[in-house]
Amino acid sequence: MRASILKQSKFLIASVQGSMTDADLVQLREDLGAGVRRHRSTGVIVDVAMLDVMDSFAVRTLRGIAQMVKLLGAECIVVGIQPDVAFSMVQLGLTLEGTTTALDLEDGLSTLRERIGAEGNPL
Amino acid sequence: MARWRKDFLEFGDADVSNLAEINELAQRYADAVIEDFYKHLLSFEETRSYFHDPHVLQRVKNAQQEYFLRLTQGKYDLAYVEDRLSIGAIHERIDLPMKSYLGMYNFYLRAVSNRLSEAYQDQPERGRVTFLSLMKLTFLDIGLAIDTYINSRERTIREQQDAIQELPTPVLPFREGMLLVPIIGLIDTHRARLLTEQLLGAVRDNRAKVVVMDITGVQAIDSKVANHMVQTVEAARLMGAIVIVAGVSPEIAQTMVTLGIDLGRMTTVGDLQSGIERAEEILGYTVTRTRSKTSSGQ
Repeated sequence: MRASILKQSKFLIASVQGSMTDADLVQLREDLGAGVRRHRSTGVIVDVAMLDVMDSFAVRTLRGIAQMVKLLGAECIVVGIQPDVAFSMVQLGLTLEGTTTALDLEDGLSTLRERIGAEGNPL
Repeated sequence: MARWRKDFLEFGDADVSNLAEINELAQRYADAVIEDFYKHLLSFEETRSYFHDPHVLQRVKNAQQEYFLRLTQGKYDLAYVEDRLSIGAIHERIDLPMKSYLGMYNFYLRAVSNRLSEAYQDQPERGRVTFLSLMKLTFLDIGLAIDTYINSRERTIREQQDAIQELPTPVLPFREGMLLVPIIGLIDTHRARLLTEQLLGAVRDNRAKVVVMDITGVQAIDSKVANHMVQTVEAARLMGAIVIVAGVSPEIAQTMVTLGIDLGRMTTVGDLQSGIERAEEILGYTVTRTRSKTSSGQ
């Protein structure tokens, strides 16, 4: 099942579903890359609140998305990591280093606004 | 278990028959011995305090007589052991010190030894052997009683340990977006895990951005728990929250350094005040005093 990507002004919001396969995640990365270029987005939020497990492939792909978005000149924030998912990720050593995280979509949006607003980009 | 005790004391059938032989004798001198025994007990302040009530004294004397006679009545079976265990439990409950308890046995043995050598004047060897049998049996009793003492103390210790472990760890919303988690007492792996669950859950429920974890009340920490804490801090970061560890004692700091725990990503401060100040700074709070120091006391 493909992830849905919503466009909200200069931001892209991707919701990762619980039933996504590895291929779907890779597809999401490609879609986001293309989306950022097409819409000239300044921020991307990946919402993983629906995921109740996160394996190493998913974490790697997420980090890849974050790095790619940064290279395209936009901010990326991963939001909605659940408490037990967060703890098991840490136990596996998958800490998403260098990636900004936020509690949920609302927090992620306000973080993005703070950062990008301060840099003088149009909202 | 009682089997092993008897084997170890080399308490056998010969001893049983030796003791049975003096049963009649015991019945004859029981009253006198017990009178002496209580005279002895009442002559000491520490032991006298247990027998203020004359009714209690009479009841205890009767129980004592029963106990005394039971020593020579044979059938040292499970029921006997249970009876002895319950006697130990009674003494433990009234908080009779071990030294008095052992002193009482010593008094018994001496009193009985005198009576025995009187009764066996013409066959001293027989008297000696009988006395040894009695001594084995009393040591069996003492062993059982001491075990009840120790068991009950151990139970108390265990209960207290459980109580410490079950000390609740409250997660307190301190300001909007800020949580305060004071940790007190002993943390072991089990409690650390519980704490992590609570903390991460609270971050989500309260939409917290900063958590101040105060460990002033924690005496010691081991490598497992320290690692667990680091993981909790990391997990909180994945949920978009910063954890500030406050009140790190020099001992704990030393332990963490010695254990080589990666503290790079952990924010630690010396005391709770600094922790709260740091958290307020992150959240953009400024606290101002509305009255000067001198007038605030009114």
